[in-house]
Formats: sequence, structure tokens, C-alpha cells
Amino acid sequence: MNPERQRLAMRALDVAPLVLFAVVLAGFGALSPSFLLPANLLNVLVQSSATVIVATGMTFVLLTAGVDLSVGAIMFVAAAVSGKLLLAQGWNPWLVVAGIIALGGVCGWLNGLLIARLGLIAFIATLGTQYVGRGFGMWLTETRAMNLPETFTRLASNRLAGVPGPVLVAALVVLAAHLVLQRTPLGRQIYAIGQDAVAARKAGVNVRSTLRGVYVLCGLCAGLGGAVALAQIGSVAPTFGANKEFAAIAAAVLGGTSLFGGRGRVWPGTVFGAVLIQGIENGLNHLNADPYLYPLITSGIIFLAVLLDSGRGQLQRTLGRRRIRPD
Amino acid sequence: MLRRALDSEYLVLWLVLASFVALLPFTPDLASRQNLVNLLLTLLPLLILACGQTLVLITAGIDLSACSIMAVASVVGGLAMNGDTGWLAGSPWAAPAGVLLMLAVGVVFGAFNGLAVAVLRMPPFMVTLTTMMAGSGLAIWLTRSETIYNLPPAFNALGGHLALAAMIAVALAGGAHLLLNRTLLGRWLYAIGHNARMAHISGVPVTGVTLAAYVLSGLLAAAAAVLYTGQAETASPLLGQRLLLDVIAATVIGGTSLFGGRGKVLWTLAGVAFIKLLDNSLNLLNCSFFTITMVKGAVVLAAALLDATRRRLLEAEA
Amino acid sequence: MSALLQFEGITKRFAGVPVLRDVTLAVETGTTLGLVGENGAGKSTLMNILGGNLRPDTGRLIWDGRPFAPAGPAEAAAAGIAFVHQELNLFPNLSIAENLFLTRLPRRGRLPWIRRRELAAQTRRWLREVGLEAAPETPVERLSAGERQLVEIARALSLEPRLIIFDEPTTSLSDRETRQFFELMSRLRARGLTMIYISHTLEDVLRLSDLVAVLRDGALVGHGPRTDFDAARLITLMVGRSLNQLYPSRASWAQPAPAPPGTPLLEVRDLTQPGVVRDVSFTLHAGEVLGLFGLMGAGRSELARMLFGLDPFARGTVRLAGQPLRSIKPDRSLRCGVAFLTEDRREDGLALEASIADNLALVTLRRHAHRSTGWLDLAGLADAVRAVRAAVRLTPTARDEAPVQTLSGGNQQKVVLGKWLLADPRVLLLDEPTRGIDVGAKFEIYQLIHKRADAGAGVLLISSELEELIGLCDRILVMRRGELVDELRRADFDRERILRAALHERSTA
Repeated sequence: MNPERQRLAMRALDVAPLVLFAVVLAGFGALSPSFLLPANLLNVLVQSSATVIVATGMTFVLLTAGVDLSVGAIMFVAAAVSGKLLLAQGWNPWLVVAGIIALGGVCGWLNGLLIARLGLIAFIATLGTQYVGRGFGMWLTETRAMNLPETFTRLASNRLAGVPGPVLVAALVVLAAHLVLQRTPLGRQIYAIGQDAVAARKAGVNVRSTLRGVYVLCGLCAGLGGAVALAQIGSVAPTFGANKEFAAIAAAVLGGTSLFGGRGRVWPGTVFGAVLIQGIENGLNHLNADPYLYPLITSGIIFLAVLLDSGRGQLQRTLGRRRIRPD
Repeated sequence: MLRRALDSEYLVLWLVLASFVALLPFTPDLASRQNLVNLLLTLLPLLILACGQTLVLITAGIDLSACSIMAVASVVGGLAMNGDTGWLAGSPWAAPAGVLLMLAVGVVFGAFNGLAVAVLRMPPFMVTLTTMMAGSGLAIWLTRSETIYNLPPAFNALGGHLALAAMIAVALAGGAHLLLNRTLLGRWLYAIGHNARMAHISGVPVTGVTLAAYVLSGLLAAAAAVLYTGQAETASPLLGQRLLLDVIAATVIGGTSLFGGRGKVLWTLAGVAFIKLLDNSLNLLNCSFFTITMVKGAVVLAAALLDATRRRLLEAEA
Repeated sequence: MSALLQFEGITKRFAGVPVLRDVTLAVETGTTLGLVGENGAGKSTLMNILGGNLRPDTGRLIWDGRPFAPAGPAEAAAAGIAFVHQELNLFPNLSIAENLFLTRLPRRGRLPWIRRRELAAQTRRWLREVGLEAAPETPVERLSAGERQLVEIARALSLEPRLIIFDEPTTSLSDRETRQFFELMSRLRARGLTMIYISHTLEDVLRLSDLVAVLRDGALVGHGPRTDFDAARLITLMVGRSLNQLYPSRASWAQPAPAPPGTPLLEVRDLTQPGVVRDVSFTLHAGEVLGLFGLMGAGRSELARMLFGLDPFARGTVRLAGQPLRSIKPDRSLRCGVAFLTEDRREDGLALEASIADNLALVTLRRHAHRSTGWLDLAGLADAVRAVRAAVRLTPTARDEAPVQTLSGGNQQKVVLGKWLLADPRVLLLDEPTRGIDVGAKFEIYQLIHKRADAGAGVLLISSELEELIGLCDRILVMRRGELVDELRRADFDRERILRAALHERSTA
């Protein structure tokens, strides 16, 4: 392939995730007109907001070529603690939300300590904290389900200017994350670290403290996402947040974030990825499809997205190859 | 002294024995016949599963889908063999044919993972993550999330009868051990994990060997499913849902590296024994499930810290 | 005029091998120093000491009148020293502007927001300076290699340094970009910036520098105003015979009449890959050591990679012992008796954490395995490993199970060579087989090369060290910018002619 055609192929692969998104939406719209009604689309957004928030934090971690397998456990711990505080201590719901977020931050700080300071591999360190977090959460809840008071669940059904609370929160998180990543020195240095941590350190970037900050951010997002999901569901079950880490990774990767770091965006990438996953589920619902088929179709689409991304990466490498002759 | 202990590759095995002896005074039941039989019965399939994971980790890959493969194999076997509605119901060949079918499921899934990783050059983590999601979805879809009972007694004996189960597990783990140490394929697996570029230049058929690693992992996962399903005498789409973390934890505690090139079946045996002993003794000490989970997490972190310290010590020396 | 920078008696050894010997050199403020020398003459080491990546064994630097010992690249940069390297150190996923200002992004007061307009304006200023017409927001991955080089130069300039070092800055530039770069250099010189210019293009060095310094084998063999030099004199200085390396002599050379060439083993015709090599044709005979000389980036390693089947080529034929090779793949080449020792020992040659025995056995493992089961004959394998350890004279103190990374560079290279020799190859492609190893090990490797050739193998020896090729080869091919430009028989070996062919003023094509 000559370089011009390679560049064209590159552009095509760049926009492929968006095309995939459009095709899926249009497909469902054609099969079931009610799918595209504004009320339903808003519904999709409401359903996906918790995942969007958690996946936003995950995107930060993936951008540094790390991974956080503990977000689901963090959500669970946060939910368990808030359940206790609401039911046994009768705390004000807003105070509880603040507490949950802070708790998520502390968990993230712990991950950052293990990874950035003690030099553990992110995969193993967060696998370990996932175990600890799950165990701690189950100890708190005594593996029983807790139903939360209406004062708390009302937070999720609040609307501001017609926008449902969860969507508003998710939008604010996405906006903040997008601005941090694209408009602040910290954000740009995160991209540099993910591309090549050694080169970034040589260029004068403080890699350690940036990494620690990234895991704290991921923890904060997990806590907040847990709070939103909790308010929507209204009860803490032992499976709360289970496998959320995989959903978050899938959303980010579906949106074009690379597992090898340095590539990806919260907006539009991760948001679209999360909404796409939820949209597929909702669309299949509208078609009255066999609900047992959902995971099969979702994983098929994620597989496709990963395939496109790895093709893009291989093309990238051939483009970057040094040339010896001018021809 | 400390250095030699840290350096010993069988450190974990010693730790397992030491903790067994140390725990005995607190829980005399630990050494009871009944308990040991139980311990071994649950340890064997986990060992098979972890051996498959070890093969993949040695190539610097990972197989997150192993437990979903188990679930699919289990329900496919159940659908084929159960005495009420099974396709093979009543046939004298139900058990052997069912086992073969289950193993075939493992091979198909493994081949899919392997092709995506080796031929399409997709990242193993994402590939096996999607097959994990698809596999567990498929298992639930096939059974409408029901459990399947009434399996042939001959089949149940494979997992439930200690001597039989032990023979199968020892044969498979021993096979994996010999494969890694005494065969061409084994050496090639290590070479790819150490340095895939170098292996390619040195004439190692990297694509085929990587594919083989995933196929073997799928096959061993299906074999583990045979034992688990037989043990429970039911085929369940939820089989192995909580095992993924145990499997990875066991291999990593044993000393197998996530970066490839380092790993042994004996190490994995030690890791599996460690995890299972932990489970069992904490259970006997009346610890709750959540305490056990927390302790497991702490042990994984401790193992990782130990490894990081060991690496730092060795580097400081070099 | 005062000296901005002085090197005083700088000496540096790697594993006992001297790479810099007592170099004393001054760079006056506002002048340009042209630094020339063959590959491995010590230019990079000298610049690495200046950049804080290495420390001299003896001697010191004087920067701006004060002793200067940078602890790292950051300290050198803070002192006002900027580098433009041959290898690109850019982040392809970031924009041009972000690459320029990664750790100095302009912010809104104390807020963490980037002032994007100001960032773009500053970037545009430096891009205009280097003559790159691209928007500051363009991701670097969208740029060609030449454009990336210009970004690298812009980054160095944006630090507003007091001294800037250009290391082969024009190798990946197009002719137009090169002209613009030379204009830029004259502008910078007129502005009084101090520069060090390192290049193999001697005419450029003579045109752009005030002062020229020539390094050979780590020693300063000549320096003075550029008017004292011309290209011919520079070449003479660069190639003077080095004394510290002995080369074994082949029996066939002692005969009065040159031996007739053996049968053709490897016949390459019109090998072409756009952007890499063009119309490469040559024949390697049995029993012949054929040298391939060229400067860095001439396409030598790329050619070898194609011959072994690691990289594709668009046109051309390769015949092995008369048989045309259709699709070339490493494992097939290996089975046909071709071996390839790559230039990057650590990345392509060894599994550093694996044992010596496993590394040695890897290539020939298949021969010791049962055809269908793959069961290994461990005793036979151990015998083979023992035999090859003796043949390459690997240090006897290292156990077979020891990880290769615990060996010295020379012994590591013997392991790589040994694993290929075990395969008993007919054709050996050796890419820089003696890079970075000590004198004794070098001599032993030279002997092994001759021994293989005496046994009837054909050896293609790629080296940046001209001396080495002259000492070892029956014939030398010279490569420049992906083309073979000269061929010399042993009787005609002429250092100046070879170097002139390899250096030749850049063609306008």
C-alpha cells in the first residue's frame, strides 16, 4: 500500500467507531420506530449514566496504559457504606453522596499507592483490591440486600429543567473530564505518559504523581457512579457493581480508547461506547428479542470494535516507519 | 538466608506446608479424612484450569474466558447427557460422547481466542474479555438459566470419585508439566513469552504456537468443567463464575509472570494449593465468606509485593 | 571571544574498551563546530556526556567558564543545551504544539487551563522558523518522517538554548526541506547562536561550520578553522588505520593468485522496495566473506531483513543455490540454511531472562524433537549445546542454566552466534556482529566467521566499521541511500574510495 492510501485507510478506521454507532442506532430505528422516540432515547441516556461516569474514570486509567479492575468493588463498598449510614445512622442523603465519592477517592488513592509508589502491576494490584473491597462490602452488608429509604432514591428521579438527575450528573462529569484531558497540562501529560512513560519522564513530566492522581480520579468516578446507580436501583444487593469493571473497560474500548495507552477520549469516545452498549440492550428490548441473547450481541459488537482498533494500530506502525529513499 | 528463601522457586510450596502445620493446632479437623477428601476434590479441577491459564500466561497472554468456557462446556454436556431430555439420553455411549462434546466446546472457544490473538493480532485481554461475556451469555441462553440434573452416573463418577478425579487431574497436570519441560512446543511457548520478535526471527512458528496455547487453555477448561460438573452432578450455566479470580490469583501467587516467559506447572500447583488451603482452613475456623475473600485479596497483594521486592533486590545486585 | 564550552581531557571506556581518549576541544561563543568521524568514532558518546546521559571516566566539561557535570538530560537542558537527535523523540499521539511545550504549556494565570491561542501562536512562530507548513494542532502521527524531524528542530529552538547540537538532522529531510534547514542554520548563526553540527555529508559540514573537528577511534585527530580543510583531507583523517584491533588472515589470501570464486550461493537481482532499497543486485559465493558497508540509515539492515524474510519487497528475485525463493519467511529461510544475526542483540537476538542453554538451542530445537510428538531428546540437546559452547569459546564460568543477561556483551554475542552456528547454515547474514563487545571477543568472532567461510558457507557481513570489513572480507559492497554504489575486490581495497562512495554528496534525485 502506498502512503497516501494508508493515510486514507487510517482516516476510515478513525471514524469507524462513529459509523458503527450510527449504523446500530439507525438499524434499531428502522426495525422499531418507537426506538428513536425522544422519550426512549432519553431513557437510554438515563440507563447508561452510571456506566458513563465509571467508564470516564476508567478512560483516564487506560490512557496511562494501566487498568483498574477494582471499580466494581469500589462501587459496592461505597453502596454498602451509604446503606449503613442511611439506614442505621439516618444521615442526610446529600451528605451520604459526598461521603461515597470521598470513599471512592480513598480507594483510588490506595490503588495509586500500590501501583505508582510500590511498583505493582496495575492488573494484579487492582485484582487484589477488588477481592479486599468485595469482602469488606459483604462484611458490611452481611451479604443481605438493603432497601434504601425514599429520601435517597428521590435523588435519582429529580429533574432539572426537564433533564433527569443522573443524566445531568453524568454530563457534568464528562464535561469536566473532557476539559481536564484536552485543555489542561495534566491531561496532555497523561496522554504522553500512556504513549511512552520513559520518554515522558525524560521530558520532565512527573510520572509518579500523575499516575497516582489518575487512580484517585478513577476511584472518585467509581464512587460517584456507584451513588448514581444506587439511587436508581434503590437497594444494595451482594452483586451490586459486579463486573462493572468489564462494562467500563468495554465502553471505553468501544469508544476507541486503546488498552496500550495514549489513545482515546472521554468525549465523544467513551460516552458513545457506554451509550451504545445500553442502546443495544434497549433496542433489543424494543424488538422483543430474546433477552438471553443480549450479551452475545453486545460482545460481538465489542469484538468488532477491538478488531478495528488493532487494525488501526498496525497501520499506524507501518506509517511511522522511517524511510531511506525519497521514492 | 532471607535472600535464599526469596530466591527459592518453591517458596510458595514451602509456605503451603508451613501454614498447613501451623494451622493444625487450631483446626484439628483440617487433617481429617473427610476434609482432606473434600479439599482434594475441589482442588483438582482448579488445578486443571490453572494449568491452562499458566500455558497462556507463559506466552505473555491471558485467558479471561476460561471460566465461561467451563460454563458453556458444562451446559452443553448437560444438554447432551441428561436422562430426561438429553440428545443422548439412555444411550450407553452418553457419558463418553458427552465428555468428547464438552472437550470439543473447549477447543472451539480456544481456537477462536487463539485465531483472534495470533492471526488478527488483537490484544488477548480484550479478546478473551469478549469471549468471556459471550460465553457466559451463551451458557445462560442455552439453558434459559436453569440447572440441568439427572446426568449419567458414569459421568458423575469422573468428578465425584476421588481416585478417578485424581487420576484425570494428575494426568492432565503431569501432561502440561511434560509439555512445558520436555517438548518442542513447550520450549517454543517460553520463547514467545520471553521475546516474540526474537522467536519469530529464530524460526519459531509464532502464530501456530500462540494458537496452540489458547486451544490448550480451552481444552483444559473444558476438562475442568467435566470434573466440576460430575462433582456437582448438575450442569450449571453459572459454573465457575467466581473462579476466574481464583485461577489468576493462584497462578500469580505461584510465581508465573504476567509478562510471559516465567511459569511452571509445579508453581501453579503450589499456588492452587495455597488458595484452596486458605479457603478450607478459614472455613473450618468459621470465618465468613467475606473474610475469606478479603484475606485472598490481601494474599494476592502480598504475593505481588513480594515479587516486586524480589525483582528490585535482583536488579540492585545486577 | 570566550569559549562557551570546553571539553578537557575527556576519556570514556565501555567494558574496558576506550571509546573516547583524552579529547580536548573548545567551542567559542557564536560559532558553529562541525564534528565528523566514522560510525563509532566517539561522536555520540561525546554528545551523550554533554547531554548528561553519560559521565566521563576522566576529564571535565567547562560550560560558560565554570566546571559542568550534568546529572541528567534535565540539567543539561536547564543549562541551555538542546539536542536534535537522529532518532525521533516525539509523542505521535500529541499535537505539534503539545510536543513543543509538553512541560511548559502556557496557562491562564494560576489556573490549570491551557491558553490555546497563545500556545498556537508560539508554536506557529517556531514552525515558521523551521519552515514547516502545518497547523500547530496537527497530531505528529500525521506527519512524514521529514516533517517530524523539523518538529524536533522546532522543539529544540523553542527552548531558546545557548548551544544547540544537530546530530545528522538532514537524513530524513527532502531536498526542499534540507535547503530550508540550511537557511535556518545561517539565520541562527547570524543571530549569534552557538551550534555543533554532526554529519556524514562533508560538503555540508564544510559549508556550515566555522571550525571543524575530526574524531577517529575516540581520539581527536584534527581540528581547526574550516578553511584548513577540504573533503579529501577530512576523509584521510577519518580513515587512518586503527591500531588496536588485529584481524585473522585467511589461508586463501596468502596464495599468489587469487582463488577463483566458489559456486554462487545467494543471487539477488533487482531487489526493490519503494522508500527503502532500489535495484539491489549481487551474488554471494560459497566460501566467501562479502562485506556490506554503508553509513547508518543506508539501508543495510533493511536489505538483510528482506533477504531473511522479515520485511516485504516489491520487486526482484532471490535465488539460493540456484533455486528461486518465492515467498520468503524466517522459518523457511532457516530450513534452507540461511542464518540471520540481527544488529539489535537485546531486542531481536536473545531472550535475556532465559538460560544460556535455552537461547543456544532455540534455533535448532526442532532437530532434537521427535517428528510427530515433539518429544525432546534432552541428552542430544545438551551435547549439542556443549559442543557449540566450546566452538564459540563461551566463558566456562557461566552455567548452562544462568540467564543470558548475566553475561558480558561479548559472551552474549557469542550465544547469538552460537545458536545460529548450531544450525550449520550455508548462508550467514551477520548484521554488526561485533558491536559493543571487547577486543578479545571480537577477534574470536572474526576467527569463527573465517572458519565458517573456509567450511564452504557464504557470509554477508554488515558493519559500520570499515576497518573490520577491510580486515575480514574477500569483497566489499558499498551502499548509499538504499542503492549499491560500489564494489571492490580485496586487492583493490581502498579506504578513501569506500568512504567517498558511502559519503558521496547527496544526489538531487
